[in-house]
Parts: sequence; structure tokens; C-alpha cells
Amino acid sequence: MAKNSGSSMSKALVRRETIAGYAFMLPSLLFFLGFVIYPMVQCVFTSFFDATMNREDIFIGFANYVELFQDKVFLGALKNTVIIVVVSVPVTCIFSLWVSSVIYDLAGPACSAFRCIFYLPVVTGSVAVAVVWKWMFNNYYGIFNYIGTSTGLIEKNINWLGDEKFALGCIILILLTTSVGQPIVLYVSALNNVDQSLVEAAEVDGATKFQCFWKIKWAQIMPTTLYILVITTINSFQCFALIQLLTSGGPNHSTDTIMYYIYYNAFKLYRYGYGNAMGVVLAIIIALLSAVQFKMTESK
Amino acid sequence: MKQKQFNRSACYKIISVIIIAILAFTFAFPLYWIIIGSFKTSAAINSTTPQWWPQEWVLDNYRKLFSRQVAALWEINIPFTNISLAGPDVPAAIRWLLNTVFMAVVAMLLTCITSAMAGYALAKKRFIGRTVVFSLIVCAMALPKQVILVPLLREMASLELYNTIWAVIFPIVGWPFGVFLMKQFSEGIPGEMMEAAKIDGANEWKTFYTIALPLIKPGIGALAIFTFINSWNDYFMQLIMLTSTKNLTISLGIAKLQAENATDFGLIMAGASLAAIPIIAIFLIFQKYFTKGITMGAVKG
Amino acid sequence: MKKRKVMALALSCVMVCSLAACGGKDSGADQTTADPAPAPAEKTEAPAEKTEAPAEKTEASTEAAAPADTAQAADITLWTYPVGKWGDSAVVDGLIANFNAVYPDIHVTVEYLDYTNGDDQINTAIEGKQAPDLVLEGPERLVANWGAKGLMVDLADLWTDEAKSLIYDSVQSACKGSDGVFYEYPLCMTAHTMAINRDIFEAADALQYLDEETGTWTTENFQKAVQAVYDYGQTNVGAVYCSGQGGDQGTRALVNNLYGGTFTNAEHTEYTANSEENVKALELLKSMDGINFDASIAGGDEVNMFCNGTFAMAFCWNATQEKNNQDQGNINFEVLPMAFPSEDGRPQLCGGIWGFGIFDNGDAAKIQAAKTFIDFMANDEKQAVESVKASNFWPVKDLGDIYAGDELMTEYAKFVEYMGDYYQVVGGWAEARTAWWNMLQQIGSGADVKTAVEEFVTTANAAATAAQ
Repeated sequence: MAKNSGSSMSKALVRRETIAGYAFMLPSLLFFLGFVIYPMVQCVFTSFFDATMNREDIFIGFANYVELFQDKVFLGALKNTVIIVVVSVPVTCIFSLWVSSVIYDLAGPACSAFRCIFYLPVVTGSVAVAVVWKWMFNNYYGIFNYIGTSTGLIEKNINWLGDEKFALGCIILILLTTSVGQPIVLYVSALNNVDQSLVEAAEVDGATKFQCFWKIKWAQIMPTTLYILVITTINSFQCFALIQLLTSGGPNHSTDTIMYYIYYNAFKLYRYGYGNAMGVVLAIIIALLSAVQFKMTESK
Repeated sequence: MKQKQFNRSACYKIISVIIIAILAFTFAFPLYWIIIGSFKTSAAINSTTPQWWPQEWVLDNYRKLFSRQVAALWEINIPFTNISLAGPDVPAAIRWLLNTVFMAVVAMLLTCITSAMAGYALAKKRFIGRTVVFSLIVCAMALPKQVILVPLLREMASLELYNTIWAVIFPIVGWPFGVFLMKQFSEGIPGEMMEAAKIDGANEWKTFYTIALPLIKPGIGALAIFTFINSWNDYFMQLIMLTSTKNLTISLGIAKLQAENATDFGLIMAGASLAAIPIIAIFLIFQKYFTKGITMGAVKG
Repeated sequence: MKKRKVMALALSCVMVCSLAACGGKDSGADQTTADPAPAPAEKTEAPAEKTEAPAEKTEASTEAAAPADTAQAADITLWTYPVGKWGDSAVVDGLIANFNAVYPDIHVTVEYLDYTNGDDQINTAIEGKQAPDLVLEGPERLVANWGAKGLMVDLADLWTDEAKSLIYDSVQSACKGSDGVFYEYPLCMTAHTMAINRDIFEAADALQYLDEETGTWTTENFQKAVQAVYDYGQTNVGAVYCSGQGGDQGTRALVNNLYGGTFTNAEHTEYTANSEENVKALELLKSMDGINFDASIAGGDEVNMFCNGTFAMAFCWNATQEKNNQDQGNINFEVLPMAFPSEDGRPQLCGGIWGFGIFDNGDAAKIQAAKTFIDFMANDEKQAVESVKASNFWPVKDLGDIYAGDELMTEYAKFVEYMGDYYQVVGGWAEARTAWWNMLQQIGSGADVKTAVEEFVTTANAAATAAQ
């Protein structure tokens, strides 16, 4: 892409480039090293200790890690985290692409109205949204049970957030409503920017609407899709507020994610070292995932 | 044949639009319910059958929200002295709103500036250690902040930043997603233009400022909105780092309201409306620029 | 190249908006610089020994006569849990004003905590090195948790012989850690009760199963009453709430009382929730129509739903709950407070003792100021009554009949005699109570009671041993 002339660069040039490079990197590196890498190193370090509040840390080697993989709750939390990401990322992408493909060529006001509405939960903020959803999912007078029972869809009230079978699904549903807004906005503008002459040419050649979409538009909105994949993955991993405010990981740890379980271990059970060990494991998983995602992006 | 196909696709379109309209309704509902709820009497809110439209509109909830706690509107601490200046006392909720706006704007600006520079360097400078730094950035960009919860908390404590808005801002700025994004954008800067600038005698900074920056502006914009929304909603860092009433953000304030007054739904709704309405207002202003941006794109495309 | 361009354009529109939007909002927010909490003016190093010089011992026992001039100027922070109106800024401002009238140089900043996130908040503040100076809560936190972790100041100089002779013995022992050190200076106490919706019980003809006069009932009658209310058509009679620790004393008291089980042994060294009686009680609750194990609500939600008529009974109740909810106009039926049902009709109610503790922040001046504050609030003759009344609970020493003429408080006063053992001081309490609601969730979702209870006791006892 850019001119790559590494081998032919003179030593002086390398030095100049290095100085300039780090000078430009400096402000960012300060924050990155200071508030991400340094705590991460600390995190790895303390994960080998039995650390708790106001007591000398005790070195215990890999004991935290050994315990982790025998901790049913942790393994459950790992599973839940994976479920959330694996379900919400593709669903968000497909759903927002579908909505955008329908609304992008509607009349101006209709399109912007839809876009605006789907964006509302994003800007409302997860805390405010959680307040309402908590009421909607209420076991006794929530709106879902009210509508469900009065239309006969469900026989008796379901304790949505208090039932292992439903709680995680409810969390994912809320997460979806708060995460499709941005992808829809991006897709609508991407679809509007698709080169119309290519589409017309294909139509003249007798391509169906579907073929048109798949062969031409899809290829052109690929960069947008990749960007959306990345931000949705990040968002799914950040899903903490909903869990803390709605279920606190319950019932029976069925909505625990590793992110919440770290918090739970640190401030409810005072097990800092153990929480850090979890953090390290999660960090490794996410780093690998990001690396793979990046490689995919590069190869496209 | 052509006619039939047209019908089918029109049919699909109409059904889809109807489904989307229904979905849109459910998406808008939480917000509708918050705003409506904030004007209801407590009896109406607590009634076991939902009241879709308030029979009686009251301002009690807002009155309660604003009379709860007070905080100074603003405060400045002069470094290295004990002098601090404070504004007039206002309801704490107003202060929370200002804190949140300040936090989100500063985080956004700092992120954009640092990331634009770093992304440019990563894309265009062939310096020693570049691959190492970039690999670190890629691996860390999706890392949830919960991972480094305790170490970060202790670090902020030793920097004496705990319970200040900076403890929320700095980790957001440190998060390397922005650098990654800007690096991807900066790859597109044509090398010839930079060469030309160099031949004209421009130094490194000037090259960046006059050549690279205008080209990556769209990327900075994307990053700006991403950071703004994310920091506005970054409940976790706020929860961990802020404690004093005057330092809270609006999301944290509402979460506290909810925990303290589980019985007073109206008050919570009022708080939630206060949190939602300003940013929605901002967003509605966006709308116009969205359209503009799109037409701009069409002309250029 | 093309792809990038498209992406760039897609994103460019996003950008324009964000910049424009934020620009407009920015100007109002300039310099909302949050400062690190009031920096101590002069940071005197903490003395190695925790107790202060004996000179102040005399001061602690004086009745706020002249100490105004001896009190050093200091900024202190007080964090209160919602102990009655101590969670209400309007009331607390009044109390602080009383204090400042005598000690104008001690500036008290109050933060209000809640029972859902309060503990997490203090825990993060401790790690953030900004723990409050003063905190108002009970021994289960001040003594068994933070006290045992060595974070609290020894309050020996407040516990003068006079104080020891006045404060009830049961309260005294609760305020002392297993190391014999006093980490709490108590202010008020209560017996947690349950409550029923008298209107519904009357309509369901269930009042016959209980003694309205004494507020007691037997386990058998409790079952009959719940069944009667359920048959009457009120299918949600009560809920064993367990989404979190809020209000967990209610579920513990319910389970323990039904068949006379205990939560810990008498020495407060070990958890005994796995006893036969407790297992039987949990199995009974699980089998009863109208009682749900609800993992979506905690104590506060339960109170809310009792008040709006969703439930016919509340397990998380006390005088303050009724007072606050009556004041807010949330209740439109007659509330009948009841003791928890027990086999012999002699309930052992779970007590609450609230008082002050001081975090050791290493600043002698602040610690001193905090002690002055406690002394004023709890020992000053006139102020003590007002401080206790603000909590809507009862004093921990004889202050006379402070609620004379208050019908509500008189009604609840009869429960104080049923106050049971204050066991919330066992080591590892914070961990154990977390395990308790997790256990209830397990039982609620169908786990075998015996197994779940055993698991709870193992976890809790492990925490207790670790805390020794």
C-alpha cells in the first residue's frame, strides 16, 4: 500500500523515522502504557498471589489458575460470555443490515425517522434503558407478562429475569436493542454510497434483486461490515451495566459473565488475586480473538 | 415476468417495512415509558395494570429530583494550593449532567488527538518496534476494562486521581481502539503527497498537519462519535472510580437513585429522562448533519 | 483503495455530526474539574498505636460542655447507609447543623449509600485510598467485615466505663470484634419483623390463624394462613427474594424461625444453616403454594411490591419501612406487623444495631474529629434523642420513652422483646451472606435443598476460617 522501502533505507533515515514515529506515538503511548499496559502487567503479577483487602499478598504460584479451571461458576461465566458474543455479534450485524437494506431507499423523512428510532436506545444509555426493562420484565406486573397472559400467549407469569432459562436471553435481547443503532446508521450511509452505475449495469444484465445485493452491494459495503463487526464485538464484551443492574449475575450464576464475575470476586468476595487470574485468562482469549479478526480484515 | 418479480419485491418491501415499523415501536417504547413515567403520579406508576397514557400529569417527580441534593455547579482546584473556586449550588442532577458532558467531551478530544497522531505514525513511519507496538494495540483493543479492575483502581489511588473525573477519562483515552482505527485510515494517505511536502521543505509536524490530517478527518469523525457515545455510556469505570455526590455522572446518579429509592419509580424515571433528553437532543441535531454527510458522500462518490 | 474510500465516506458523516453536536454542548461544561476530595490542611502522621492520648478520654465523656475550643478544625466525611431518615439529606443536614452549632470548625460532608451497592462502593473507596472517615452501619459490616480486616479505628476511648454501664449488654458484645476491640459505637437498634396486608388476610378469613395482639403465630397457622390467602385468589402471597443481599435478614429470620433452627452456633464461630430444622424449613417454603423463590427481586423490591399490593406479606420489614412508605403515601391498606412464625410461637427476631465506625485513614486530626462527632451524636443528652429518632428505631440505652404518643412506634415496640441472638458478627460474614442468596437461588431453581445448604455451609465456614 504505502511505499515500502525498508531494506533500502539508510541508517540515518531509520533513525529519523524512529524518532519521528515515537514523537507522534508519544501522547498515545503515555496513556496506553500508563492506563492499559501497566495495570495489565500488575494484573498478571498479582494473579500469582492470594491477594485480598488490607493484607500482605501471599505468593501461591499457579494455584489461582488451577482453581479457575475447577470453578464451575467461572466455567459457566466463560460459557455465558461466549454465548453473548457469539449470538449478539452476528445477530446485530444481520439484523442491522436487513433493516438498513429495507429503509435506505425509503423517502428521506421515513428513513431518517427509522434510523433515529433505532438509534434511541444507544443514546438513552444502558442505565436508563435498564430501569425500564427491569419493569417490563417484572414477574408480577411487567408488560411482557401482562401482554402475554392477556393475549393467551403464555399461560402464567414468567419470571423473566429470575428464571435460569430466560435470564440470559433477556440480557442478550436488551443488549441487541442497545447495539443495533450504530450499525444501522453506518449501513444506511454505506448502502447509499454504493456505486449505482454498477447496480444498474447488473440489472440490465438480468440479475435479480437478490443477486444484485449479494454480488455488488455486499462487496462494496464490506469495509463497513468489518468495522461493525469490530465495534459490536467490543460492545458485547463491555456488557456489564445490564448485568449488574438487572440480575447481578443471577439467578444461580446463569447470567454471570467473566467481566461481572471479576467484579463480584473483587468486591463481594475480596479475592483480588483470583479475580486478576480470571482477567488474565479473559485477556488472552480476547487478544487471540482480536488478532484473528485483524488477520481476517487484512486478508480481505 | 418482470411484472411478477416487481410485485414480489414490492410485497417483500411492504411487509418488511411493516415489521420494521413494529420493531421501531418497541425500540422507542422504553424511552417513551421513561418520559411518560416521569410525569405520572406514584399511584399511577405503581398500579399493577399499566397506564399507557397518564391520566394526570404531575411535576412532582422532577421537583423531588431537584430538591434532593445540591452540589456546586462547577469547581476549580488550583494545582499545588488549597484554593478551590466553586460555582453556585445547583441540584446535584444538573452537576451530574455537566460532569458527564465534560467527561465525554474531554475523553473524545484527547482520544481523537492522540489516536490521530499515533495512527499516522504507525501507518506512515517505518520505525523500530513498530510491529511490536501495533501487535500490542491489536491484542488490547477489545479488552474489557473489568480485566484490570483492581490494578487500575490501585493505580488511580496512588496517583490521587481516584474519585475524580480524570480517573474515568484517562483509561478511555488509553484504550487503543482509536489508534487502530486511525492507523487503518492513515494507510490511505498517498505517499507521493508526503514526499512532495517534504521536498517543499515541510517538517514532520507540518506534513502531518497539512497533508495527513485533512485526509483522515472522516476517520477522526467516526472515532469521535464512537468515543463520545462509549464514554457517555461507560458506566463501569464511573461506578468504580467515582464516589462523591458532586463527582457522579448522570448514569451513575440514576443507578444510585434506583438503588436508594427502589420504591420511587417516578423519581427514577425523572432522573432517567434527564439523562436521556440532552443526548437525544444532541442526536437530533446530528440528524441534519447525517443527511448532509451522506449527500456530500454522494457527490464525491 | 476503493473500499477504504467508501468506508471513509461512511464514517465521515458520522463525524461531522458528532463534532457539531459536542461543540455546542461543550461551552457550558468548561472546567467541571473534579478535585480529589478535600485535601487535609495539615497532614499529621498517625500515631503508631491506634488509641489516642489519654487526654481525650476525658473529653469523650464530657457532655459537650466546653470542648468546642479543644476540637481541632477538620474536614471529615460521613457515609451513611439508609438507616431510617439517616438516609435522607434533609434530615441529616439538620443533625449536622446541630453539630456545627457546637463544633463550627469540623466540617462534615455526607454521602448517602444504599444497601444494593453501598458495600461495593466502600470497598472500592478503600482500595482507592479514600475510605470515608465515618460510616453509619451495623456490626456485620463495621466489626465483622472492615473491623476484622484491620481497617477500622479502635473506639476504646469512646467506650468509657460510663458508656459500658449504660449500653445494653447484647449490643455491647455485638460492637466488639473477635479480638475484643470495639469497632462500633452504637446509636440505635431494632427488631426486624415481617408484615401482612391485613385487608387481604381479613377478606381471606386468615386472621383467625394469628394473634393480632402479640403479633405472633405458629408455623402451622402460618401455613394455613398462606394457604387461605392463596385459595382466596391472591396467588402471590409472599416471596423468598434472593436477587442480592438487600434485606437478607428477612429470609434468614424466616427460615430459622419456622422450625427453630439457628444460623450460626452460639459462639459465633461456625455456620449451622445446614441443620435439620433449617433444611425442613426451606423444604416447607419450597413446597408452599403462594410462596415463590424469586431471584429477580431483593428486599427493597419486595417492600415495594408489598406496598402496591402485589404480595400479601413482606419478610423485609420494620418500623421504618412502614413509616417511610406511609409518609410517601405508598400504602392504601392496613399493615399488620408480625413476628416470624415459629413452632412454639416464641420467635427469635433478627436484630439490627446501627452505629458509627471510623476508618483509619492515617490522619489523627480527622480521627479525633470523627470521635467528637460520634460523641455528640450518640452521647449528648438532647442530641442523642434526636439522632435516634431520625433513625426511627430504638435507642441502645435507656433514654426514656422517646416515642411517647407515637402510635406506630408503640405498636412496633412490642417486638423488641423477641430480639434474638445477634449473630451477624461471625468471621467471613460478607462472603457468607453472598453465598446465602446464591443458595436461595439454587433452591429456587430446583436444586436439592440438602445439597444446596451443605454447599452453603462449606463455603461460609471456609470464609469464617479464613477470617480467623
